[in-house]
Amino acid sequence: MNAQGSASSPNSASSASSPSSTSSTSSTSSASSSSSPKHSPLPRRAILGGLLAAASVPALAACGGGITSLDGQGGGGGNGGGGSSANGVTIGTANFTENQILGYLYAAALGAAGVKTKVRPNLGTREILIPALKGGDIDLLPEYQGALLHYLSPKATATEEGAMQNALAVALPEGLQILPYGRAEDSDAFAVTRETAAEYGLASLADLKKQNGKLVIGAAPEVKKRVVGVVGLKEVYGVEFKEFKSLDSSGPLVKGALKKGDVDVANLFTTDTDIAAEGWVVLTDPKNLVPGQHVVPLIADRKADSAVRKALARLGGALTTEDLTELNRQVDKDKKDPEDVANAWAAAHGLVKKR
Amino acid sequence: MTVDWSWLSAHAGDLTTLTLSHLQAALTAVLLGLLISLPLAVLAHRVRPLRGLLLGMSNVLFTIPSIAVFVLLLPVSGLTRTTTVIGLTIYTLVVLLRNTVEGLDSVPAKAREAAVAMGTRPLRTLLTVELPLALPVIMAGVRIATVMSISLVSVATYIGDGGLGQLFTDGFQRDFPTPVVAGIVLTLLLALVADALLVTVQYVLTPWTRRPRTSGRG
Amino acid sequence: MYELFKNLGSWLVAGEQWTGPDGIGHRIAEHLQYSLLATLVAAAIALPVGLLIGHTGRGAFVAINLASFGRALPTVGLVVLVFLAGGLSMTPVYVALVALAVPSIVTNTYAGMTAVDPEVKDAARGQGMRGHQVLLRVEIPLALPLIMTGLRLALIQVVATATIAAYVSFGGLGRYVFDGLAQRDLVQVLGGAVLVAAVAVVLDLALSGLQRVLFRHRRAAV
Repeated sequence: MNAQGSASSPNSASSASSPSSTSSTSSTSSASSSSSPKHSPLPRRAILGGLLAAASVPALAACGGGITSLDGQGGGGGNGGGGSSANGVTIGTANFTENQILGYLYAAALGAAGVKTKVRPNLGTREILIPALKGGDIDLLPEYQGALLHYLSPKATATEEGAMQNALAVALPEGLQILPYGRAEDSDAFAVTRETAAEYGLASLADLKKQNGKLVIGAAPEVKKRVVGVVGLKEVYGVEFKEFKSLDSSGPLVKGALKKGDVDVANLFTTDTDIAAEGWVVLTDPKNLVPGQHVVPLIADRKADSAVRKALARLGGALTTEDLTELNRQVDKDKKDPEDVANAWAAAHGLVKKR
Repeated sequence: MTVDWSWLSAHAGDLTTLTLSHLQAALTAVLLGLLISLPLAVLAHRVRPLRGLLLGMSNVLFTIPSIAVFVLLLPVSGLTRTTTVIGLTIYTLVVLLRNTVEGLDSVPAKAREAAVAMGTRPLRTLLTVELPLALPVIMAGVRIATVMSISLVSVATYIGDGGLGQLFTDGFQRDFPTPVVAGIVLTLLLALVADALLVTVQYVLTPWTRRPRTSGRG
Repeated sequence: MYELFKNLGSWLVAGEQWTGPDGIGHRIAEHLQYSLLATLVAAAIALPVGLLIGHTGRGAFVAINLASFGRALPTVGLVVLVFLAGGLSMTPVYVALVALAVPSIVTNTYAGMTAVDPEVKDAARGQGMRGHQVLLRVEIPLALPLIMTGLRLALIQVVATATIAAYVSFGGLGRYVFDGLAQRDLVQVLGGAVLVAAVAVVLDLALSGLQRVLFRHRRAAV
């Protein structure tokens, strides 16, 4: 209902010059997508939809060009039952570098497809972002398959990409959908310094159990309550830490604390170049606690049209893990803007025309 | 720790946008705060029992951390500018309410009595006699509230807004001092300019305070 | 909203919440430590400055304007800047909290000093008191109410703002606010906020009690 509801205005906005086509598409689609089992005299609904759309055309013509005054009203939808991006898409991003780069990459790809975008950087954690996506403050979010799946259904068992994609489709709340996942992957890593690894004989997450009650783990505050975090480490590996330190997402706090020895184990991202640069040891995960974390767009139904799908699928097919790692490095180390590195990458890979 | 000057010149546009957004949040909050606190202050001034209650309540609000207020507003207004403005307004209320009540208290009883004797209606007395005479104290409150709001806006960076405050979280995440320095300097400048403007406004609005002292008091 | 407050009740009374390194008891102790130390340092800086400019009348313009300039300093920015300059320690937090507290103390102390009736000061001098005697026996006692107002205001601001320590990995009651934000656990955020407010109110009551005791002493002395 939601998806078709918001589609009327962009549809008529983009084709205000041809009122007849607008009214016909919307009447058919609202008829075909009506699902209410009660009073469903199809013809009446179709007529109603047609009337609404017809009424909207002069109104729109009067206000002179694509104003959103009709957004959210009933009527029909185009684009195969999906939403429409004609009014622009607001991309939200989480509070760490890479997610902001991904947000700007999405913006570059969508911009090339003629979709207006606005990026809102640094909004917070997934726990904050997904309610905001449902509430309409943002429309699109660069997500990570496994982490998203475990957020939505903590008991999920799927680990293989395709299976996770299916599980996600089932677990997603009304009004949200995921698009095809990309090649690039950024997984959660639990890392220790070389010295700590040698001292305690740590090579895998399973080894942590031998040191139960002795080690301090540092991670972003939300990791304390996450399955891919303290909860899962206990359930899957039986690991118990001496203390959990609330730090940040592979940022200066957690890396500084690991370097200084304030924490023994740190939750980092595999696309963080500091892991290699500092020679930190990423503990292996024999029981597959950490699922695959391919980048996957999470979008509100109301904005998911074919233009968005295609643009993001092209991006997903082109962006590799190595690319993402390099872009992270440019932003974190060279202090370049996330927006600039994203645009430069998009231009270099033919996603946008070079200026 | 050095400042990267080329970053500053390359980001002049972004810095302007953030500064304006910062200013807009702070000023909206002060205006809303004034609109809410004026009637409340009149009430607190007239009805003695309400006075302690209103001032006490606003004092307690002041002790709540601003970041918590922003977060607790999320279910109401989400990740929007509205959340920022509501949060800031709450803090301006504390200062504005207290100063407005004190301003009304400072109006000489004789001035009010004279107006009443001349048959002026209560509302008219309030608008033409009491509020103008209370203006210096009220304006002192407006100045404090404005500077405080300008300094507080940046806390909203934790909920993805915060104007110049975004430069702080950005610089923090990337170990990059330049945006942080720029954010602090611009915040201070903004406060300085806003305060200077308010002083000018007060000067214009209260001509009687400018008269030579000798003629004012005997 | 009702649900939130109901859950707050159970959050506050849960036994395990109060013990251990991340229990409420320990967090309150940390919060008190940050707030009191910062306010003491601020008072050690601001009181002499306020008394000096009030007593001599010199430098008042500069000091008062600097103080109102200081009020505009964004705490988050200051914490981040000092962190980037000096690395991770409590220093950034203390610097920001002291910077926050100093203006209130300086301006109120100065205001208290200037409010002392010049005739009273003249009378004291006429009785043969020296400059420092006038300051200690006449001006400070008479300025005390406003000085205390400044200290109380500063302390309340510091207690509310000490939550920022949690942003740079430290403890205090801000831990509940920042962790609650990251986990979108509003009960925890509300719990942290209520506890901060309670600490602020209790400290303020304690200071006003102290003020009353000091007053009685003054009345007896004069």
